[in-house]
Amino acid sequence: MKITLVATTALAGALALPAFAQTIGVSIPAATHGWAGALNYHAERTVERLEETYPDMDFVLTTTSDPGTQVSDLEDMVATRGIDALVVLPFESEPLTGPIQRIAESGTWVTVVDRGLAQDGIEDLYVAGDNMSFGQTAGQYFVDNLDSGAKLVVMRGIPSTVDNERVEGFEAALEGSDLEVLAMDHANWNRDNAFTLMQDYLSRFSEIDAVWAADDDQAVGALAAIEQAGRSGEMIVVGGAGMKEMVDRIRNGDETVPVNVTYPPSMISTAIEMTAVGASGAAPMTGEFIIASELITQDNAEDYYFEDSPY
Amino acid sequence: MTDPILSLSDVHKSFGPIEVLHGVNFALRPGEVHALIGENGAGKSTTMKILAGYLSQTDGEVIFEGNPIRFDHSDEAEDLGIIMIHQEFNLAEHLAVDQNIFLGRELKKGWRLDHGEMRRRSAELLQRLDCRVDPATQVNRISVPDKQMVEIAKALSRDARVLIMDEPTAVLTERETEVLFEQIERLREQGVAILYTSHKLSEVKRIADRVTVLRDGTMVRSGMVEEFSEHDMATAMVGRELSDLFPPKAEGGAETVLEVRNVSVPGMVENASLNLHRGEVLGIGGLVGSGRTELAEAIAGLRPRDGEVTVKGTALPPGDISAAVKAGLVYLTEDRKGAGLLLEKTLRENLTLPLLSEFGNPLINRRKEEAALSKAIEDFAIRAPDRGMAVGDLSGGNQQKLLLAKTLLSNPEIVIIDEPTRGIDIGTKQQIYQLIADLAAEGRSIIVISSEMPELIGLADRVVVMHSGEITGEVSGADVNEQRIVKLAMGMDAEPEGTAA
Amino acid sequence: MTDATAKKPAARRSSVNLQAIGPVVALIVLVLIGISLSDNFLSYANVTNVLARSAFIGIIAVGMTFVITAGGLDLSVGSMAAFVAGVMIIAMNAMTERMGVTLPVVLLGMLIALFSGFAAGMINGLLITRAGIEAFIVTLGTMGIYRSLITWLADGGTLSIGYQMGEFYRPVYYGGIAGISWPIIVFALVAIIGEIAMRHTAFGRHCAAIGSNEKVARYSSVAVLRVRLITYALLGLLVGLAVVMYVPRLGSASSATGLLWELEAIAAVIIGGTLLKGGFGRVWGTVVGVLILSLIGNILNLTDFVSPYLNGAIQGVVIILAVVLQRNTGPAR
Repeated sequence: MKITLVATTALAGALALPAFAQTIGVSIPAATHGWAGALNYHAERTVERLEETYPDMDFVLTTTSDPGTQVSDLEDMVATRGIDALVVLPFESEPLTGPIQRIAESGTWVTVVDRGLAQDGIEDLYVAGDNMSFGQTAGQYFVDNLDSGAKLVVMRGIPSTVDNERVEGFEAALEGSDLEVLAMDHANWNRDNAFTLMQDYLSRFSEIDAVWAADDDQAVGALAAIEQAGRSGEMIVVGGAGMKEMVDRIRNGDETVPVNVTYPPSMISTAIEMTAVGASGAAPMTGEFIIASELITQDNAEDYYFEDSPY
Repeated sequence: MTDPILSLSDVHKSFGPIEVLHGVNFALRPGEVHALIGENGAGKSTTMKILAGYLSQTDGEVIFEGNPIRFDHSDEAEDLGIIMIHQEFNLAEHLAVDQNIFLGRELKKGWRLDHGEMRRRSAELLQRLDCRVDPATQVNRISVPDKQMVEIAKALSRDARVLIMDEPTAVLTERETEVLFEQIERLREQGVAILYTSHKLSEVKRIADRVTVLRDGTMVRSGMVEEFSEHDMATAMVGRELSDLFPPKAEGGAETVLEVRNVSVPGMVENASLNLHRGEVLGIGGLVGSGRTELAEAIAGLRPRDGEVTVKGTALPPGDISAAVKAGLVYLTEDRKGAGLLLEKTLRENLTLPLLSEFGNPLINRRKEEAALSKAIEDFAIRAPDRGMAVGDLSGGNQQKLLLAKTLLSNPEIVIIDEPTRGIDIGTKQQIYQLIADLAAEGRSIIVISSEMPELIGLADRVVVMHSGEITGEVSGADVNEQRIVKLAMGMDAEPEGTAA
Repeated sequence: MTDATAKKPAARRSSVNLQAIGPVVALIVLVLIGISLSDNFLSYANVTNVLARSAFIGIIAVGMTFVITAGGLDLSVGSMAAFVAGVMIIAMNAMTERMGVTLPVVLLGMLIALFSGFAAGMINGLLITRAGIEAFIVTLGTMGIYRSLITWLADGGTLSIGYQMGEFYRPVYYGGIAGISWPIIVFALVAIIGEIAMRHTAFGRHCAAIGSNEKVARYSSVAVLRVRLITYALLGLLVGLAVVMYVPRLGSASSATGLLWELEAIAAVIIGGTLLKGGFGRVWGTVVGVLILSLIGNILNLTDFVSPYLNGAIQGVVIILAVVLQRNTGPAR
């Protein structure tokens, strides 16, 4: 979060200079779940804002729902729009590493967002959330706040690197504690799947003290199942990514939902803005910007509540 | 006499507990055309399938060139030059003619297909058969007789030593049949052994050297063709004396029940007009492809049309089959398996399909359906071993009877029957002819469309003849004879418009 | 009699029996596995959960049975459900503003859902029957359209019903009569009516006839196009009904709603013994198919039987086995 602020400040300063006319391509996944939806929301808003402020600047925004289409989109951008810079959130690391590498080699500025490429040193700029820290922050909260011997269930997302890193961080935080993880299954970052999975967890275990839902969409499903079973109050649920409704519950001191962990979709705005500055050569912007996950509690919830965000 | 190339020795075949062949002895000799005849269900198909390796016998031996042989698959038989042409074609509908002819044995140039050579050879084979189909045409675009020719071309291309043909002429016109026979004769001269089945006994007389008659899975007679008259063959097949094939003709009344005025179907039928009187059997003759079926389908509301169709003074809307049925006009299709019956469904489901609303609404009354089926089985003498069986497992004759029962279920006044006896044995034929006469006697009016000249002449008091989409004339009474009809059908004796009474 | 007449009836009769019990055997085996692996499997809560969550796919799959029996296919039902849910939520939120949290809003919302589903089904049906476009293509197209529309309506995020309205509407999913929850009751009613319609009405018979051989049906004066159209419209209506039961569960719809429901519904239909090429359909079989699919997920969640990475593989194996059990004649010819 802090880095975002720094970058935005830098941009404000840098763009005061006359910018070169340039085209920036932005390629991100389609809005297939809440977090990606927010990502789209932030990307569109940033593009609109920059285009309005700097008429010389041109943006090409594409959204894709699979790696194959993303590769074609990138090829189209280079071939037909002659982009000078690319901001890309790779759908998957492996299949996109090659195509992005070729674009970088042709002299185009490349900013990779959130999901790292399979090979180091391709991109000019890397802006990402920290999935390890995302899991670790939640795990640490459980270790600090649950009674010893407390029993947990864990909902994982779609099997992927992101999910693996989060769970790795979570398990690392739990190591050495005497918290017991009863079960871990995939709910695919989907409300309905989470609802079903939670129903089955509740049938299976008579005692559950905490649920790490790992994602706020999953937390919504889990909460509905817990309420249906009449077991609200028996356990706490920690989601992640700072969905509006969840932050609202934390703000109001909900007992079941005491905290949340950030994974800001607004990182795309940061990336686009930094690219605009970096690619124009107005200010040095290369390197890595890792945005660590933070814990949202009742005390700081107000800072993370965005009224008009869709997420 | 030459030695047999392929023979059966005391062959039995059972399906489950039921034995359908009870010891068949049978020999095919090079350079001989052998006709296998029998009623539907006599075991002809089974015999042929055993010979061609599609089925294996339960007992007894298949002997090839003196040695017992057992085929696990029809491919093994084909490799020996034993080729069977099925009644239902074995053609890939979406492939071109030449692709079908060389299917599975494609000619290659290196690793690539040699399209040019395959097309050239296909053209050559088709030319030999006097068939004008372009080898590049997709099979689903060519007519049924042409498909038969393609099947034969396919067999020719394989250098057949034994050629087994299951009713090859059922779908051919007389002229096409003649071409086929020339080919058969040529193959015979080349020393090919030919097995051939047909319901048309005159053809058997014409082409076969030797005749074997099967009845109920047993060989009842076998000998050189000279030893048989057509009457002998029919008697041997049926196992009893056949009285006259055709019942006496009914004469129609004066009342016109169906009036067809200037009906056209684009590209198929042009300005056809005809009248049908109460209690009359009207024939429609003409070659296959002359527009007979299309005209009938246009009248019955199965095809879009121009022109007027009036049933007892009420005009029928075009393309509306339910209106036609409601007005008492029904059509029995020539395409029994493709458009007439649901082959996987039971007799009951097929019988009541056109008139389900009569069997209870909203819920179908099963008992009423069963009663209707019992009545149909009795009225039409349908022989089904099991009421719950699929219609596809019935013999052709019984299918046709069921189709008749189904079509007549709505108690129609006007019945158009297209090819009433295609692929049906002589015993059943007679029953169907009697049935048609009975319908007319009950005061119903019948139109019979047929490619079989004797059928038209034997049934109809008046015959309208079509040639390439137009009605070329009409004959009645004593004029209903083969010569007159053939002339009209060839378009050689066209009378001026408006002869239809 | 003919070779054919003699040989097939015997084989057919035994195959009918096995075909009929195949899916039931699979279901019983799954239940036994569930009982042996988990003490809670037969608990009231678990049984209720499994049946209630089967209801959405189940209601849709009953409609799908008619479509497939008549030789059609509908790939759009999952997206359609998401879209209808979105429309319903937006409409109910708008009405709540004016009319408050009242019963008429819920009833109107339900009507809107049913009507939108019906309309969406009609559009599929009309494009297929009147414009004569392949069902696969039409519904593949509308699948993408409805999925995009819900994403657009939700602005990439999630549409949620107002909190108070949600609480008011909630009992439609969570409530019930005599301990049986509404979704289960509705699913059961739809299945029973569907079974009767398939087996004992002219409509069901006509569907089978069209799927078996469209030309024969047409020549038998069956109104082929109308029956086809009705199957799609009916399916749309049932999607609407499923949405009426779905929305009160979580009170939200997003672009992830109803994801892959079409495949689950089609799989359930086929597991149940309906022929994918049409011509024969069995509604009770579809119900068994839906339960099989739900139970696999439930059992895997209730146990640590296999690595969660392998869940999809287990599902695949059970689906194939359930279908293999119905085929006793070896490979299809």
